[in-house]
Amino acid sequence: MAEAGRAANTVLLRRLLLVVLLMFGFAWGLIPLYRVICEVSGLNRVVAADRLADDGSTTAAVRPVQLVLDTMVQPGLPWQVLPPARQLQVRTGQFIQLQYTLRNNSRQAVVGQAIPHYLPAEAAAYVKKLECFCFRQQVFQPGETRHFPVVLVIDRRLPAEIGSITLSYSVFDVPGQGEGRP
Amino acid sequence: MVMAHTADPQPVVHKPHGWRRWLFATNHKDIGTLYLWFAFCMFLVGGVLALCIRTELFRPGLQFFQPALFNQLTTLHGLIMVFGAIMPAFTGLANWMLPLMLGAPDMAFARMNNWSFWLLPPAMALLLLSFLVPGGAAATGWTLYAPLSVQLGMGMDLTIFAIHILGVSSIMGAINIVVTIINLRAPGMPMMRMPMFAWASLITAYLIIAVMPVLAGAVTMVLTDRHFGTHFFNAAGGGDPILYQHVFWFFGHPEVYIMALPAFGIVSQVIPTFARKPLFGYTSMVYATSSIGVLSFMVWAHHMFVTGMPATAQLFFMYATMLIAVPTGVKVFNWIATMWEGSMSFETPMLFAIGFILLFTIGGLSGVTLSVAAVDVQLHGSYYVVAHFHYVLVAGALFSLFAAVYYWFPKMTGRMYGERLGKLHFWWSLLWFNVTFFPMHFLGLAGMPRRIPDYALQFTTFNQIASVGAFMFGLGQLIFLFNILHSLRHGKTAPQQPWEGANTLEWRLPTPAPYHSFHEAPELETAENGVVLDMRGGKHG
Repeated sequence: MAEAGRAANTVLLRRLLLVVLLMFGFAWGLIPLYRVICEVSGLNRVVAADRLADDGSTTAAVRPVQLVLDTMVQPGLPWQVLPPARQLQVRTGQFIQLQYTLRNNSRQAVVGQAIPHYLPAEAAAYVKKLECFCFRQQVFQPGETRHFPVVLVIDRRLPAEIGSITLSYSVFDVPGQGEGRP
Repeated sequence: MVMAHTADPQPVVHKPHGWRRWLFATNHKDIGTLYLWFAFCMFLVGGVLALCIRTELFRPGLQFFQPALFNQLTTLHGLIMVFGAIMPAFTGLANWMLPLMLGAPDMAFARMNNWSFWLLPPAMALLLLSFLVPGGAAATGWTLYAPLSVQLGMGMDLTIFAIHILGVSSIMGAINIVVTIINLRAPGMPMMRMPMFAWASLITAYLIIAVMPVLAGAVTMVLTDRHFGTHFFNAAGGGDPILYQHVFWFFGHPEVYIMALPAFGIVSQVIPTFARKPLFGYTSMVYATSSIGVLSFMVWAHHMFVTGMPATAQLFFMYATMLIAVPTGVKVFNWIATMWEGSMSFETPMLFAIGFILLFTIGGLSGVTLSVAAVDVQLHGSYYVVAHFHYVLVAGALFSLFAAVYYWFPKMTGRMYGERLGKLHFWWSLLWFNVTFFPMHFLGLAGMPRRIPDYALQFTTFNQIASVGAFMFGLGQLIFLFNILHSLRHGKTAPQQPWEGANTLEWRLPTPAPYHSFHEAPELETAENGVVLDMRGGKHG
């Protein structure tokens, strides 16, 4: 009786430990799972090229928009990122070409990745980037300066209440790909 | 069993003495006692940290703590109260009472039980030690959000290891509880009649087993991001800080119920006793508790409404969250219906249980307010949230723990606590709790953010009220400590049945409960909520 009870306890113990292991694995499984969800649902597509489609975006009226350009570098990183201007007056539907200057101020080769974000956040869906240095990681030799074109179109269906869009690039180092810290 | 004894032999009572009794403890009562005292000590430590926070917030401007240290105080206050005080206290009560309520000789795995307790002190030592290392303790808030947690100093590593150890400890404790409840119930105690405290502990234990490994996974990812070149949460490396929030809250929301469900269980034992009526709607209570457990896995992203989720996702998590109010409401109405036309008396445990219902409901309603995505955008990260979760954790979990300690104190110790002091403790706590936390609703609505050491001048008055309340509330807990210590030595001898309306199995035992109880299982005839109608056999050492 006591032996049988002990055996039953051990069986249940093993099953519960299995649940513990599965749930630990599940935590790691959430990483690819979220990636798949983001890809399928199109969320979080900030560093991929957009396409212009003939989906009615050409019928809406063209109107002026203020474009504010902002750049940020994570503290301690050797990058310098210069936008072509602080503010631009542009129009929706216009092909906008911007020349960004990126410089590596350190004596080491560095690998960086720029991540764009937008204010207001709902403007993100209307800014179509056709060319951007943020689409891939950029390798910079010591002291190297390079110019990158950014080409974008603001969808003509941009809601009327958005009169100004801030486009901000944050540059991060890519750990393990180069000496990030000076 | 087979051998026929000519005379009923006295069982050998093995009761070690001195420090061995505690360090090598395998007796569920000793381990329960250790858990409860440990939790109370951690409650005092976490309370001192809270008072440091309230001291700094008494006036606008920086007086005592620089922002970096202030953030460490809020972080450690949260971690210590959650993992060091509330969770161990509930585990301790489950250890003490479950074998007595179910007719089991002990917990299923006595040695594992010893380990699950003795892992706690080193874990808490690591947490407290982290104050002393360069860079100080974790300063991220108890949620340890990336990317801040990836950037902080070595105090963060100590915190991560502490959480690993705490996770192992609580998982082992939870496995013990599940196996004890599933396998060791006495004959005549079917699942659908066992006490609500056992049901609540069972579902809580399942939640712990399911989500503590997820937290362990999340902090392990932070650890590898910090030291091993991964970038789970690093945007540049293809990771995503928002992902941390998803993984964390997948743990974090069930964790909220890990701290609430045992409280529901305790109140479901205390209210029927002092209303002298059976628990109203026992079956619905069981299903309500279970459905809260299941729903808790589906609402995590309501903590993340401001991360830029799509509107559809916000709506899903908003409605799923509101849905939890339904089973919770069922429980509240059942408790009220239990008291309805009952022959109530208001001893200290009952006062705390009624205080629990009142204040937990306020906390629940502010939770429903926060669940509205459109409103949450305004209130997120404000003092309204602080008010909300202190109503459910202090007036909820903590008050239920006080109710439980007063309720079972006679059975545990053989002595009565001081009733007048107990009542003073209740009214004192009730008053000053509300003085402390009610103004925080207004502060949050007016826009004061949480986790800041300084604030705009217009928030001064409410902050001063809250600070005074916090100190008085803290002082009141010394009444409790004095009452317990004094009653342990000088309390009146308790009868076997100190509460007229108590009818669950633990009250069939002598008082104080013998060191080895039910080493032969009793034959029971039971009714719902663990009410014992008849008991045959059942021997004690």
